[in-house]
Amino acid sequence: MSAARVVGSAWRSLARSRLRSFLMMLGVIVGIAALTALASVGEATRQETMRQFKRMLGTFDTLTIRPGAGSTRGMPSLGSVEPSLKFEDGPAIAAGVSGVKRVALVQQAFDVDVTYRDNASVPLVLGVSPNWADVRGESVVAGAHLSEEDDRSLARVTVIGADVARDLFHGEDPLGKVIRIADVPFQVKGVMASRGAGPGGSSLDNMLVIPVTTAAKRLFNRDYLTTLVVQLDDASASDRVAGDVRALLRERHRIIPPAQDDFTVGSPRATLEQISKVGSTLSKVVTGVAVIATLIGGAVIMSLMLIGVSERRREIGVRRAVGATRGDVMRQFLVEAILISALGGAIGVLFGAGGATVGALLQKLPPAYMWSMIGGSVALSVAVGVVFGLYPAWKAANVDPIEALRS
Amino acid sequence: MIEASHLSRTYRRGDGTPVTALQDISFTIGAGEFVVIRGASGSGKSSLLNILGCLDTPTSGQYRLAGEDVSALADDARSHMRSKRIGFVFQGFNLLPRATALENVELPALYADASPDRARARQLLERVGLGARAGHFATELSGGEQQRVAIARALMNEPALLLADEPTGNLDSAAGESVMQLLTSLHEGGRTIVLVTHDEHVASFADREIVIRDGGVASDTVRQRGRPA
Repeated sequence: MSAARVVGSAWRSLARSRLRSFLMMLGVIVGIAALTALASVGEATRQETMRQFKRMLGTFDTLTIRPGAGSTRGMPSLGSVEPSLKFEDGPAIAAGVSGVKRVALVQQAFDVDVTYRDNASVPLVLGVSPNWADVRGESVVAGAHLSEEDDRSLARVTVIGADVARDLFHGEDPLGKVIRIADVPFQVKGVMASRGAGPGGSSLDNMLVIPVTTAAKRLFNRDYLTTLVVQLDDASASDRVAGDVRALLRERHRIIPPAQDDFTVGSPRATLEQISKVGSTLSKVVTGVAVIATLIGGAVIMSLMLIGVSERRREIGVRRAVGATRGDVMRQFLVEAILISALGGAIGVLFGAGGATVGALLQKLPPAYMWSMIGGSVALSVAVGVVFGLYPAWKAANVDPIEALRS
Repeated sequence: MIEASHLSRTYRRGDGTPVTALQDISFTIGAGEFVVIRGASGSGKSSLLNILGCLDTPTSGQYRLAGEDVSALADDARSHMRSKRIGFVFQGFNLLPRATALENVELPALYADASPDRARARQLLERVGLGARAGHFATELSGGEQQRVAIARALMNEPALLLADEPTGNLDSAAGESVMQLLTSLHEGGRTIVLVTHDEHVASFADREIVIRDGGVASDTVRQRGRPA
């Protein structure tokens, strides 16, 4: 009996008892739908987290160096950081470590009042080197970025984020206007393109930048930095470069063993890998639950198939009498089980993908489909059909035709 | 066509004690004969039928069908033998209830490694007078119609032997009569038919009667058809 005819005959047999076929599929449908939907929603969430990080960092091919041994958590601000990271450390790293593309200097301050006429705002204020915009891939929608000349001349100019532009100017054109940062007048030189939400959903646009030299000498009177952003030529060399940077800084800071570093070198890539690992642990748990649901679906198929075999003893007897071998009967029932399970899997994938789309839309995220999971689901449902169909099929093959035909 | 020599069949009860169903049965049936095997229930005629139909094997003795010794064939080989050489007609019709008449007739072709031959199945349905009923499900047909579909099915693979087990047992006398007439006309067309029954009237259609009693052959008579012995 040819494969096509076996499948065709199994299909007709299933089509003739639709309700039972549907009930047999139900468990697999639910399990596979859950598997697909949860995995896809998890994937959408994970991708969104990645996007948020990417938006915050601008790029992943960087190392960030912060003052202190890294034991304090959270964002450092000027008042609370160790004054260990110096301006000269930046150019020294750029010159002394190979594989470094550029080093941006950042001096960060919180709780600085910014006003324009009667409008006030408390954005994140960053003093940055002119190459900061290049490291971040930052662009302006109006005006220009900070220049080398601004840096040299300690210019009182600022480039503001979209939120600051909105909060201070209410639609007025900010370019050329003078705002007061901690009561010091600064001229608005540019407006940055909106970056949207960062990790945790907070806005990345509620910030402004001024030349780091101006910040250090005219505003805050501090000669140390809160962050050095080291951009690499090649992201894969990040471990090697981090080691070289660390050695260089220890030497510059005259740290002799066993003394600890007075700075911390961090890799956004490593952080990101950690995050995606957390995501994958979660998805493993979810996957496990859905796989169990699918296996229960398989057990339902098996028990209904067994009932089917005893109800169809006469049919089996007839088929054997007209020439079906045990193998023919076995194949027929096995193919029915696989067909049921695979069909349930396919329907489950459709439902799951639909559920994932709805879930993503509810979270206002672009839907993501985990194709490997979808492929895996279909493979799993076929495997479930084979495993749970085997015993009923064997039972069917061993029905004694003489017994079955006795009227 | 059929050569049975010294056939015996012993079953084992649940407690292991042997029960003899057939003992030392020998007969030969030639091609084109219409033979009835008659016996009371418990006489062993069902056991004999199972062996003749290659559903069962004798405990001892030899059974040759169409020149081939089938008494010691394995299960798969017996399946192929049934597929090629034997057409079954049962008392309970045994059509697949959720298949159409035409699909039922086609069924044996499915297991015969032959290409599906819908035209032949249709032709056979017409031969048994049910050409118009091809698309009906088995459950929509009367008993007599179902049995005629079953006969068409039995003929699907051109079997050497038609084995009928109480074919009229579940039918009223009119339907039974028409089924017997159909079998008779098949016999006149050259078919070899072995019919098992306990009914003397049904037996009267055959031209030879083998009576089975207590697992053995009690009588074997050739006689003129249409006249009950």
